[in-house]
Amino acid sequence: MSGRRIGVYVCHCGGNISDYVDVDAVVAAAREDPDVVVARDAMFTCSDLTQSEIISDIGEHGLDGLVVASCSPKLHTFTFREMAKRAGLNPYEYTQVNIREQCSWTHTDDHEGATRKAISLVRAGIANTKGSAPLQPTQVTTTQRALVVGGGVTGMRAAIGLADTGLEVVLVESQDELGGWVGTFGPMFPHGTVGKDLVARLREDIGRRPSITVLTRGRVTSRAGTYGNYQVGVDADGAHHDFEVGQVVVATGFSAYEPGPGEHGYGAPGVLTLVQFQELLDRTEGRLAYQGRSVESLAYIYCVGSRGPEHAYCSRYCCSAAVHASLRVADVAPTARQYHLYRDMRTYGRNEEMFTESRRRGSLYMKFADDDPPVVETGTDSLTVRLHDLLSAGEELALPVDLVVLVTGMVPRQQDDLVGVLKLPVGQDGFFNEIHPKLRPVETVVDGVNICGACQGPKTSAESIASGLAAVTQVAAVLKRGTADLDPQVATVLAEQCTGCGDCTSACPFGAISLFGSGNGAKAVARVDAAGCKGCGACVPACPVDAIDLAGYTDHQVRGMIDALAMEVAR
Amino acid sequence: MGYDTEYDALVIGSGIGGMESALKLGDMGYKVLVVEKEASIGGKMILLSKVFPTLDCASCISTPKMGATAHHPNVTVLTYSQVEHVQRRPDGGFRARVHSAPRFVDPARCTGCHLCEMACTVSVPDQFNGELVARHAAYIPFPQAVPQKALIERAGTSPCTFNCPAGIKAHGYVSLVRSGEYDKAYDLVLETTPLVGTLGRACYAPCEESCTRSSLEGPVPIRRLKRFIADRHGAARVGTDATDGRPGAAGAKRVAVVGSGPTGLTAAWLLARKGHRVHVLEAAPEAGGALRLGIPSYRLPVEVVEADIANLTAAGVEIETNHPVGDLGALREEGYDAVVVATGTPVPARLGVPGEATLEGVHSALGFLRDIKLGAAPDLSGQVVAVVGGGNVAIDTARSALRLGAGKVHMVCLEARPEMPAHEWEVAEALAEGVELHDTWGIAGFSGQDRVEGLQLQRCTSVLDEQGRFAPRFDEGTRQELPCTTVLVAIGMGADTAAFPDLAPDGARRFVVDPATHKTPVFGVFAAGDAVTGPATIAKAVGQGRKVAHMVDRWLTGRPLTGFVGPLPEVDRADVLARQHNFTRHRAHDAALRFAAVPDGFEELEGPLSEEEARAGAVDCLDCGVCSECHECVAACPADAIDFDMRATDTEVEVGSVVVATGYELFPAELKPNYGYGRYRNVVTGTQMERLLAPTRPFNTVLRPGDGKVPERIAYVMCTGSRDQTVGNPLCSKFCCMYSLKQNQLVMGALPLADVTVHYIDIRAAGKGYDEFFEQAKAMGTNFVKGRVSGISEKANGDLVLRYEDIDNGGRPAEAEYDLVVLAVGVTPNTGPAGLFQPGELAFDPYGYVAEVDEDFSPGATSIPGVFVAATASGPRDIPESILHAGAAAAQAAAYLEQNKKVPV
Repeated sequence: MSGRRIGVYVCHCGGNISDYVDVDAVVAAAREDPDVVVARDAMFTCSDLTQSEIISDIGEHGLDGLVVASCSPKLHTFTFREMAKRAGLNPYEYTQVNIREQCSWTHTDDHEGATRKAISLVRAGIANTKGSAPLQPTQVTTTQRALVVGGGVTGMRAAIGLADTGLEVVLVESQDELGGWVGTFGPMFPHGTVGKDLVARLREDIGRRPSITVLTRGRVTSRAGTYGNYQVGVDADGAHHDFEVGQVVVATGFSAYEPGPGEHGYGAPGVLTLVQFQELLDRTEGRLAYQGRSVESLAYIYCVGSRGPEHAYCSRYCCSAAVHASLRVADVAPTARQYHLYRDMRTYGRNEEMFTESRRRGSLYMKFADDDPPVVETGTDSLTVRLHDLLSAGEELALPVDLVVLVTGMVPRQQDDLVGVLKLPVGQDGFFNEIHPKLRPVETVVDGVNICGACQGPKTSAESIASGLAAVTQVAAVLKRGTADLDPQVATVLAEQCTGCGDCTSACPFGAISLFGSGNGAKAVARVDAAGCKGCGACVPACPVDAIDLAGYTDHQVRGMIDALAMEVAR
Repeated sequence: MGYDTEYDALVIGSGIGGMESALKLGDMGYKVLVVEKEASIGGKMILLSKVFPTLDCASCISTPKMGATAHHPNVTVLTYSQVEHVQRRPDGGFRARVHSAPRFVDPARCTGCHLCEMACTVSVPDQFNGELVARHAAYIPFPQAVPQKALIERAGTSPCTFNCPAGIKAHGYVSLVRSGEYDKAYDLVLETTPLVGTLGRACYAPCEESCTRSSLEGPVPIRRLKRFIADRHGAARVGTDATDGRPGAAGAKRVAVVGSGPTGLTAAWLLARKGHRVHVLEAAPEAGGALRLGIPSYRLPVEVVEADIANLTAAGVEIETNHPVGDLGALREEGYDAVVVATGTPVPARLGVPGEATLEGVHSALGFLRDIKLGAAPDLSGQVVAVVGGGNVAIDTARSALRLGAGKVHMVCLEARPEMPAHEWEVAEALAEGVELHDTWGIAGFSGQDRVEGLQLQRCTSVLDEQGRFAPRFDEGTRQELPCTTVLVAIGMGADTAAFPDLAPDGARRFVVDPATHKTPVFGVFAAGDAVTGPATIAKAVGQGRKVAHMVDRWLTGRPLTGFVGPLPEVDRADVLARQHNFTRHRAHDAALRFAAVPDGFEELEGPLSEEEARAGAVDCLDCGVCSECHECVAACPADAIDFDMRATDTEVEVGSVVVATGYELFPAELKPNYGYGRYRNVVTGTQMERLLAPTRPFNTVLRPGDGKVPERIAYVMCTGSRDQTVGNPLCSKFCCMYSLKQNQLVMGALPLADVTVHYIDIRAAGKGYDEFFEQAKAMGTNFVKGRVSGISEKANGDLVLRYEDIDNGGRPAEAEYDLVVLAVGVTPNTGPAGLFQPGELAFDPYGYVAEVDEDFSPGATSIPGVFVAATASGPRDIPESILHAGAAAAQAAAYLEQNKKVPV
């Protein structure tokens, strides 16, 4: 007996856990531990109801430690830490045991085995709590300044939003001037707002805010520091700048898909990407013409570069953009024949209005099978598009056209240097990944680094700006408090055991350990900068004399967990 | 309630968007008020199964946000409340009026134990389970609700209860009878009056007249249900122990009740239940007033009245008969702390025609009826009786005369038959028994010297004057002689003001009281009942007794003479009928009268309801007010948290900015009649499928609602109500494709043998990881069929036949059979925000969504500076988009607050 008074809560997660794990058996096993004062099951442990019950248990039974066996700690560690705080229990006296992702969901075919594993995991969690100690976070003052990387509409609007909440902003743009893609655009769907005008308005607003520092031809070269206080290096216009910032917002946008040579005839005259075609429309005054010849017929081929083997995702904006372009064609060339060759028309939400309008104004839509894309035949002086149209009973059609528009989507921007400097998480699709699309939609797993706009995945201009403003709220929510709590789960050095060998300093990836106190005959001792330590634990095994321990994950706790896992589960 | 009246931001709606805006503003340090119209925060997301494309369970994402919102130090949440109006102030801020509906459960006391829910006798469709199952009127919205507090749904007062002048919870005892709780039903009536059996027979039952079922096939037999519970009670136990307190408890006072009619008995009973020592002083040799000495036994048997009176004596009320009271002041001297005078209207009105007092054979009807009940009935054999009057007493008199052997009974009244004060059915019954009616006649005089020989009638041309006052006019030229040997005058009655002149100062014809408090001019003396109101019904007299008892108790315990809380407004019967989906069985409940053409005795005419009839009758109740006020929850609640007297409260708050996050409505699938939703039970909506799949699912498995069969062939009909000009919604609802793809995968997980087919126009999987999710559904085996569904028909076994266009196979119309069809319903705007501001102030798009006036620059900005719209209130959005959009709204609200120098608190 450790003399601890521990409460164990095992979650059904609706049926997510209890459909596969015998929750009652897990609770019963937990009760066998003499230090476990309360053990219960709950339909949803994270629900307010169960949280209130746990809080009253803590008071009623004088609990000094908790184990919650439910889902991944990624989901609810903060939920239960906050609950512990409300109950007056140190939040680090609670252990999250994952019996969903690591147990019920992975062993759906073996209920007994899943139950045995859950019991072992819960016992390990109890052992961990037995060895826990109350930890106090270090509170630091945060820097009231944010770095925004990327000067497209998203970054510009985010900078304005941040400034308007009272923060200082450093806005870094890699190009010669602010504006990004939208700065090159003419009228955009759905409101017809001219991209260039929108950027001009954003520039003007930025100019009126002295708290925004704009650096063009810039790139971020370094990032160091701790949560709420980062030192970033920026090279811009040939000069180097160092800034102290509290949070970073990445809004570096996308690249347009560039078809390969010959892909749907690309490279031949008259075969354009959507971006090139939009530029043609922007330039058009009066007659719609390509290389001096009137355009009387066009074919739009959708999903070029999207929903395919190279880029599995849907680029979201291209259907609506192409339909919008066809409406502009209908304005300047009302008699032009427009053929839309598509897989699924994804003019979602209000964009459906444009789709309906384009059909009303004569656009013809033809659907091709996923595995039977249209073929563009490029003759010397002509273009013919062939397809089997599912809307005409699969009939093969040959469409002689003046122009072929390849409706190309968005691809991730290549920016390995920024990814390296900020350690940005890149998803399978090549775009940056948020922690969770619903719980923490603009934060990344890298402390203090937020993402928004199309660098996160294809978005329209307005959607990108909305996400940029969402990032503003996240940054302001962190910084406007003025202080931040740093995780106390950091490495600690047992000075009397330390030999000053320095192995730990080279093992630390964050440069948070240094040697102190040599000279005067005293031995040198390693010292950890608590604010710089991320609690990664790399130093612990590096120490040859076991003089480093990680608070919250002490050797004592880990040994206890291993012992508990090794206990047999009698069933 | 403990909340402030000044906030930086007001967030209207607490779905995923509203919570996100509120949390982010709170995190930034702003004080936020969240107003939610439902009883729990969480909106629609908390009711989902899992969410795309990550397949996280919706609860796991929502509940921590709900908890965080409820516990955030900067966020105050008002549930079951609505913002009624928002007004802009010159300084850029806003003033909002928040209307908080009463929960009827004190949230500070409620522990969320569900005992009230289990005790509740009313079931209604559970809106939080897609109406697939029922919930109770007392309920906690759903297992993860925040706050986890019960509430009682009351649409208003049910018409039967509202129209009961006695204040009996008619709906309450009906629902208790429905539940088989006959003793509890009896006890519920006892909360109002001891006269359960009496009212079960002799009440004119305004409850039934107002019953919503009346407009269908006939009312619930509400009065006879009361008789049923009284009869059963009488058979089971004598007297009752159902009192709140025992007479003689600490602080008890002595009360004298003068008169033992319905008012006096009710007042005495209720005062005794409050713990007071009550004496009823009755001048007559029998207690009961008009109940005992007026109403004939064929309508109200003496034993029934005596059983009711036994309730009082069992509760310690002492009744002294043959005890006339002359001096009220003396009663106070005898040690009574308070006196209630309820002596009714014992003084008969007179015709004022010469001979009335002198001729033999002319009697007052009151005396006649009283003699019968005291065993001194005159023998009317062979007599020709004329009853003068057209009210209920005249009817009683005429029918009693028949029973005493009268050879002929005439009734003479001023009114034409339709205008007679007596109930039409009573007139009809009297005529059926042989009474001859002479309507529109007045009495000009009597014939006969010593003994009456006839009545001289003159034609009455009108009864009321232009102001509606009683002022009969006669055509003296039209006269008629009605020979008769006995005349019984039943033309009204009045209070005995001569006996208590102090109570009727300045020649008043009734006792004068303060109508609010029932106080008389004499200290410590209260009066109530017919003596104050004039002749009325038993139920009204009971209502008077109830009110005077309340006032006397307050007075005796030194409290202000208030607190007599009236009922909630009456529910609109049209609303009640509109919310019923269908009506099964129903038959009218006949009165089961045992009629004789020539009645010869005073046996009770009406038969009892059998238990089976009573239950069937009670089951017909439509639960108009939802809660029946059966008070079972009151008895069940261990925390004493139920409070039926709670009323709505209005609060004015000052806020710096407003975020409108009122969400969307789901398309009502009934509007696509060719899909049969509402008619075919195995056609469900996507929302209902969410509930069938959710962790807190109602049946703990996926089955079809029609017959509980596990479906093997499941079809999805995409774009139900979206992209559809015929229902006026040309827009795409954006998320139905994705939720259907999610459900496909969950169904295949839950029912590995099921075939899932999706009939679609375009699969709109546009979003991060969405098309990959589409591919995943295909890989798992969902069958995608391009083409719209033109109609659905139902087979006898509940299976469904879809007619659809099969585009992939040449575009021919085709048919396929399914066990279950899911309609992927989309979004329509929530029109709630339309009334928030001055007309025209807040702009809407042509479809009714809140307009974003500068979407490309400031998504979420509305036409009003300082007012922002978040998430689906401005158009279809899925959850991730809603969260980002709500964040954008919060960022701009913060900017607005900073600009307006609303410094964070």
